[in-house]
Parts: sequence; C-alpha cells; structure tokens
Amino acid sequence: MTALLEVTNLTAGYGDGPAILSGAGVDVQPGKVHCIIGPNGAGKSTLLKAICGMLKIREGEVRFKGEKLNGLRPDQILRKGICFVPQERALFPKMTVLENLRMGGFMLTDDTVVNSRVDEILDRFPILRERATQLAGTMSGGQQQTLAMARTLIIKPDVVMLDEPSLGLAPKIVQEMFDIMRVMADEGITILLVEQNALMGLKHADWGVVLDLGRTLFEGPAQEILTDPRIQELYLGGKKAA
Amino acid sequence: MADIIQLTILGLALGGVFALMGSGLSLVFGVMRVVNLAHPALIIAGAYATYWGWRLLGVDPVLMMPFSAALLAVVGIVIYKVFFEKDAASAKYSDLTVLMAFAVAMIVEGALGGMFTNTQRVTSPSYATEAIFIGEIFIPKGQLIAGIISMTIIGSLGLFLKFSRTGYAIRATTQNREAAELLGVNLRFIALLSFAIGIALAGCAGSLVSFVFNFFPAKHWEWIAIMMSLVVLGGMGSILGTVVGALLLSVLASYVGAAAGATWSTMVFFVALFLVLLVRPQGLFGDKSELAS
Ligand SMILES: Nc1ncnc2c1ncn2[C@@H]1O[C@H](COP(=O)(O)OP(=O)(O)OP(=O)(O)O)[C@@H](O)[C@H]1O
Ligand SMILES: [Mg+2]
Repeated sequence: MTALLEVTNLTAGYGDGPAILSGAGVDVQPGKVHCIIGPNGAGKSTLLKAICGMLKIREGEVRFKGEKLNGLRPDQILRKGICFVPQERALFPKMTVLENLRMGGFMLTDDTVVNSRVDEILDRFPILRERATQLAGTMSGGQQQTLAMARTLIIKPDVVMLDEPSLGLAPKIVQEMFDIMRVMADEGITILLVEQNALMGLKHADWGVVLDLGRTLFEGPAQEILTDPRIQELYLGGKKAA
Repeated sequence: MADIIQLTILGLALGGVFALMGSGLSLVFGVMRVVNLAHPALIIAGAYATYWGWRLLGVDPVLMMPFSAALLAVVGIVIYKVFFEKDAASAKYSDLTVLMAFAVAMIVEGALGGMFTNTQRVTSPSYATEAIFIGEIFIPKGQLIAGIISMTIIGSLGLFLKFSRTGYAIRATTQNREAAELLGVNLRFIALLSFAIGIALAGCAGSLVSFVFNFFPAKHWEWIAIMMSLVVLGGMGSILGTVVGALLLSVLASYVGAAAGATWSTMVFFVALFLVLLVRPQGLFGDKSELAS
C-alpha cells in the first residue's frame, strides 16, 4: 500500500541551533495507528513539529498524498488535513470548553458547520457537554486531554498526531485516552502517536517506529517491535515486555 | 457625602480615559508579548492630529476620532513592518523589542516636536469648558463625555474579542500562541492586525485626551508610568484587568488628590505599580504561569 504520509531523511532543529533530527523518517499508512517510541530527548516531539510546519526542514522531505509539504506554514498544513495535538498546553486555558471546541474549527469558515460539529462532539463526549461553560484550564488533566483530542474531530482530519496524550495521567485515565484514540482510528483517522510509555503505546498501535538521537533506527509492525529482543533490551526496559 | 460622590464620578470618568489609553497597550502585549513603550507617544500623535483638525478646519475633536484612529492604524502598520515583523512567526519576539519600542517613542516625540514645537496644546470644544450640576455635585462635561466614549469603545472591543472569529483568534493567540497556530491561525496576520487595532485605539484615545489634558510632545513620559501601572495591576495582557485597574486607581487617585493635593494623586499609580510587582506580580486577572513563560 502506498504511504499516506511519507517522511524521509529529515534534518531539522530549532532556529539556528544544531540539528536535532538527522535521518528521521516514517511511512504512515492510511487508517493505521503508528507509535513512535524512543528515550527522552530522542527528538520525537521535534519530529512531529517538523511534520506540521512548526520547524524549518533543513533536509529531507515530507510528502502527503504525494504532495510535498516542505516549507508550508502550520495553518497551511492543517488545511491539508494533518492535525497536531502537542505535548501539554494544547488548550486555551481561559477559554471555556465550548470556546476551545469552536476554536478547533477555526479553519472552517462556515459557522453553521462549526456549530453542528461542536454539537456532535458534545453528544459523543458527555463530560464535555457537562463542562461546556467551564474554563478549560480549570479542568482535570484527563478532561483537558479528552478535550484536546476531541477538538481535532471538528475539522475531520485525515491524520492526527498525538504527542504523549498519557503524560501525567493516572493509569485508568490513560486507558481512556487510548480508547478515544482507538475510536478515532476506527473512524478511519490515521494516527501518529508519540509515547514515552513504549509498551502501552505499541500495544495500542499497528506500526512502531524507534527513534533515537534524531534518527529512525527501526520501523515495523508494532507486534514485531514488542517482541524484538534487541529493542526490548534498549527501549522497553528488558524482559518485562514479553 | 456629595464630595465622595463627586470625586468618584470624576475618578471614574478619568479612569475610563486611562482605560482606553491602556487597552491598546494591553492588547499588543497580550498578542505579541511586546511592551510597546511608544504607545503613549502615539496617543500624543493622535491628540495632535485631532488638534489640527479642530484648529484649522473647525472639526469637533470627537468627530476627528475616526480619522485619528485610521491615521494611527496606518502609522502602526508601518512601525510593525519596520520593527516587529521579522520576529512575528518565531516563538518569541526578541528581547530587543523593548528597546525598539523605546526608540520609536523617541522618534515620534522628536518628529512631533520638530513639526509642532513644544508649546502646550489643548482643544477646547464648548463641552470641554462646560459642567453639569446635580445638586451639589459638579461634573465637567468634557471628562464625562471622554469617559463615556472611552467605555463605549472598550465595550465594543470586548464584544469583538468575545464573539467574532478574528476575536477568537486574537484571544487564542494571547493565551497560547503555539496552539493557536496549530489550529490554523496565521500568527503574522493576527500580530499585524492586533498592532494596528492597538495603535488605532491610541488614536481614539488621543482625540479624547486632546480636550481632557494639556499636551505637548514630551508629555508621554508621564503617561508611560501611569499606563504601566494599570497594565501591571490588571495582569499583563488582560484588557478587562486593565480597565478594572484604571477605574480603581483613578478613583483612588481622585480621593488622594482631594485629600493631599494634586502632586500626590499621581503617586497612587507609582505606588500601585511598585506594590503589585512586589506582592502579586501576575496582577488582578493575570496568571502566575504566564509570568514564567
Ligand atoms: N524549543 C526548543 N529549542 C531548542 N531545543 C529544543 C527545543 N525543544 C526541544 N529541544 C531539544 O531537542 C532535543 C529533542 O527534544 P524533543 O522534545 O524532540 O525530545 P522528545 O523525544 O520528545 O523527548 P521527551 O520524551 O522528553 O518528550 C532535546 O535535546 C531538546 O533539548
Ligand atoms: Mg516530547
């Protein structure tokens, strides 16, 4: 199958600073969940930021549906159908839940479409309807992450990139986040997930990517990565994984 | 009792004008995190535009307001393009922006002085010298009109920010630049627009100020400190906070002025600035986390 999003041999960094990524890549297949794992500072977040246009790509290519995305601004890449939920701070803390959702539909110019899609989302996530007029910054971590993920649905994206949706959440709540992600995937949304908790991430993914020192070391079916002894040793905390 | 009521009304009217003067500063700070020290100098530019319209063409200062706003918006766009645009897409404006704004303030002051000399000016439409009496209470009509118009403009700004699509984008950018950009907001455009609106508000304030205060090119130094205290008290970047801060401090200044003399009344602003920075640096409506970032 041809890749929906093809990231090849990326070199990128912050401002004029050193290259954080060099030789990072991933083949994203439509409708699948992809999980990028790797140690702290490996460049996982940096890779997602480079794909969505927040960082300048120095070398390499990002292709989406065959079209080159290098050099486009984040708002232009969003319009192509790639949505990014950053690690922490994805929300507007002093806007209400409702306003945050409406902001999610910012790129849709038709207000009636925005309103009806916001309504759909409130139907699907009762906790958000219940909290509709609460300021986003005053909600619990899990509720905030739910809002951040649900908000992506408004524009009906092709690809959603999630940067550590489980960060700082209790295990039970983490499971809820993965459930939401699963529902999104079942609707046909392609997921590119970054997970610090590699085991958890890979278990919920179809495809795994191992990133370290800014480059892609290995990619393959998530099951295969979970059982690969070398990767277990290095990134999954030894034998526990099996 | 009548004294207190009168002082309160005077304080509120003047506070309304200060609120308008500070709201543009606050808007620009919120969106760009740039402390635009040139803001008060641009208010003076607006006051001059209004003054000459009134003096040469006999146009009422209040009617000069749209013209002053439009003129200053254009000036704002030019300043933005020259000084701030190159930073607009980066995560943070460079630390040099404060110095640049300072330079702009000097340039504006120098240009106004060169063109119009340092003579004190004031517009005096008929209402500026009239007063309303309600029993024992006496209210200068000029200040009252300026205060009411100011609050009307700020109210419209609030509605615009709260309900319009562009207003959503401005608020979103103020609260979280990165997330706003990721949802499709063009940060460059929002920065340019906010700057233009902010400076247009300086133009509006200039028209009102022209009949409330005597002004001359260097007058803006006095206002910088006052405006900083309002903006800091309200919580940097919070327009509602700026308005509340302005009304609160002006009323207080009005009491202090009556009790201890006019020189002490401005002290209220400086003492407030100092105390707020010491005790609650995030201001009334600010957020502690924002200070850290
Ligand atoms: N805004 C920034 N400016 C400069 N360097 C940065 C910035 N953000 C991250 N870096 C650097 O880039 C490298 C990779 O960081 P990145 O956030 O991509 O790692 P990560 O794999 O997401 O790690 P984590 O699991 O801790 O989130 C690190 O060395 C980090 O110091
Ligand atoms: Mg990260």
